[in-house]
Amino acid sequence: MKSLDRRLALPLLVLLVAAATLLSLAWGQMAIPFHYVIASLSQGIGLPFFHGVRVPADEAAVLWQIRLPRTLVGLMVGAGLGISGAVLQGIFANPLADPGIIGISSGASVGAIFAIAAGITGFSLYALPFCALLGALLAVGCTVLLAMRHGRVPVLTLLLAGVVVGMFLAAVTAAVLTVLDASKVQAYFFWTIGSLDYRRWEHVFLAVPPMAVGIGIMLLLARQLNVLAMGEMEARAVGMAVQRYRLLFLLLASLTTATGVCVSGNIGFVGLVVPHMLRLLLGPDHRLLLPASLLAGAAFLVLCDALGRIVLPGMEIRVGIMTAFIGAPYFLYLLRREARRLD
Amino acid sequence: MNETVLQGINLTVGYAQRAVLADVSFTIGPGEFVGLVGANGAGKSTLVKTLRGLVPALGGSVQLLGRDIRELAPRTFAQQAAYLAQNTEIPFAYTVRDVVRTGRYPYLAWWQRESAQDMAIVDASLAFVGMAELADRPLRELSGGQRQRAFFARVLAQQAPVLLLDEPATGLDLIYQEELFRFCRESCAAGRTVLMVVHELGLAARFCSRLLLVGQGKLLADGKPQAVLTSARLSAAYGAPIAVEQSPVTGHFDIFVPPQVIREEKPQLRTLLFGRGTMDEEP
Repeated sequence: MKSLDRRLALPLLVLLVAAATLLSLAWGQMAIPFHYVIASLSQGIGLPFFHGVRVPADEAAVLWQIRLPRTLVGLMVGAGLGISGAVLQGIFANPLADPGIIGISSGASVGAIFAIAAGITGFSLYALPFCALLGALLAVGCTVLLAMRHGRVPVLTLLLAGVVVGMFLAAVTAAVLTVLDASKVQAYFFWTIGSLDYRRWEHVFLAVPPMAVGIGIMLLLARQLNVLAMGEMEARAVGMAVQRYRLLFLLLASLTTATGVCVSGNIGFVGLVVPHMLRLLLGPDHRLLLPASLLAGAAFLVLCDALGRIVLPGMEIRVGIMTAFIGAPYFLYLLRREARRLD
Repeated sequence: MNETVLQGINLTVGYAQRAVLADVSFTIGPGEFVGLVGANGAGKSTLVKTLRGLVPALGGSVQLLGRDIRELAPRTFAQQAAYLAQNTEIPFAYTVRDVVRTGRYPYLAWWQRESAQDMAIVDASLAFVGMAELADRPLRELSGGQRQRAFFARVLAQQAPVLLLDEPATGLDLIYQEELFRFCRESCAAGRTVLMVVHELGLAARFCSRLLLVGQGKLLADGKPQAVLTSARLSAAYGAPIAVEQSPVTGHFDIFVPPQVIREEKPQLRTLLFGRGTMDEEP
C-alpha cells in the first residue's frame, strides 16, 4: 500500500500541477473557457491539437500577455520555495526551518526598500528584483559568516545568527520607511505582500536561469542530502565533507528562494508547509521528497493565486495573503497532531 | 608488509583545550581485537572519536595504515575505518534501510547512485544483524537494541578493514551480544582490526585479544586481558577497591565490586535512598 503510494506520488503531483495551471489560466476577471485555453496554448506552441477552434483575439491576448507569464512565475516561485524549504529542513534536521529563517526574506526587503528609496525602480523593471536578490544574498552571507567559527558552521548558531540578522535588517527597513514619503511606502508595502499580478515575460526570463541552476543541482544531490540529514556525526562517520555540503545546500536554497522573493515578494508558508506535509505522507527520503516538494509547491502557489482571483468578485486577494490563510491553519493542525503523537 | 594498522603517538584528547587523556601511545596490528575499558567519563569515547578523526587531537597524532589521519580525504578515511557512535539520534522517520544505505557513501562519487551490488551489500548487512524484516520501519520507532543492530549493519555495509566501535553492545540482548563479540573475533581472525569500547569486563576478557585500560587521565595498562585485569589496576582505574578472580577451570574472570562506600559510612543517606524515602525513619 505504502510503496504504491510512493510510486504514484510524482505522477499524481504532475497531474495536480497541470490542473492548477489550467485553472490559473482560465480564472480571473475575464473567464476564459478551458477549451480556448487549451486550443490557444496548443496552437501557440505548435501542437497538432484543436486547430479547428478559433480563439478570440481578446482572450488570446489576456492569456499570452497576462495569465501565462503570471502563471509561469507562480509555478517557478512555488517550485523554488517548496524544494528550498525541503532542503533547509533537511540540512537543519528541523522540520520547522523555512526559507525565511536564515535572513533571506529580510535581506530581500532591505534590498527592495533601498531600491525604492533611491528611486531607481523607474529606470528598469529589473532594478527592484536585482536589489532584492543582492540584499538576500548579502544577508545570508552575513548570517553564515557570523555563525562560522574555525571554518565550521554549527546548525544552532546558524539559526540564531539568522534570527539576529533578520531582526537587525527589519529595523533597518523600518528606519528607512520612516523617512520615505507616502507613495514610496505604499510601493514597498505592495512589494512586501507577495504577489503575482502584473508579472510579465521579463520576470519569467529573469527568474529562470538562477532557479534552474539552484533547483537542478539540489535535485542531483538528493542522496547526499539524505546523509547530511542524519546528523553531523553520522554524516562525517561515513566520510561526508559535512561543512562543504552544508554551505553548498545553503547557497543553492538561498539563491533559489532569493530569486523567488525578488520576482514575487515575500510569500510565506509554501516553503514551510509543503515539504512538511509531504514528509508526513511520503517519508523523509529526499530522492522522492525533493521532486515532490517542487511539484506540490508549484501547484499550491498557482492554485492559491487562482483562488485569490475568484473568491471575492471584483477584487483580487494577493497570493501572499492566500498562502498564509490556507497555510497557517493547516500548519497549526499539523503541530497539534505532532504534539498528540509525542504525548 | 605494513604491520601497523592503527597507531596513537603521544595522543592528548579532550574538548576545547581541556584534556581528558594525555600522552597516550599504542600500536595496533592487523587481526587484533582490542577492548578499550575504563570508568565512566574516563575518556574512552573521546579517544575513539579522536582516532576516527571526528574530534581533533589536542596533541600528538594518529596514524591509520601508515598515514597521518589529518592527510586522509574524508571518503578514503571512511573506506578504511568504520565508526559506530553511542546514542545516535536520527531525525525524521528515516527507515533502517535508509540508515544502512549511508554505509555505501564512501564508495560513491557525487553523481552516482547506489548500484544493485551496493544494495545487495546493504541487504546482506541487514540480514546479518537480523533486521531484514524491520528494514522498512522508521528507525526511531524501534527499541534501543534494534537501533544498535541497525547501526552495526551500517558499519558492516561500510566494509572497512578497521572497526572503531563505541559500546556497540549497549541494549543488545544476550544472544546478540554474544553474536557481536563472536563476529568481531572471527573477522579479526580473517584480518580485520577492531577497537571496541566495552563495559562488560568479563566479555572483554573472553573475546578480546588485548585490552587498553584508561583512567586517571592516562593509559593505565595495555596488554593481554589477564595482564590488564588485575585487582590493583582495576582499583586504580575505577577508584574503588575491586577484586578479580580467574577461574582455573574455565579461564573466565570473576570481578567483584564491593558495596559502595555510601552504604557503609552514611547511614542517614542510606535510609533516604534505600528505605521508604524519608529521613526521619527510625530503625
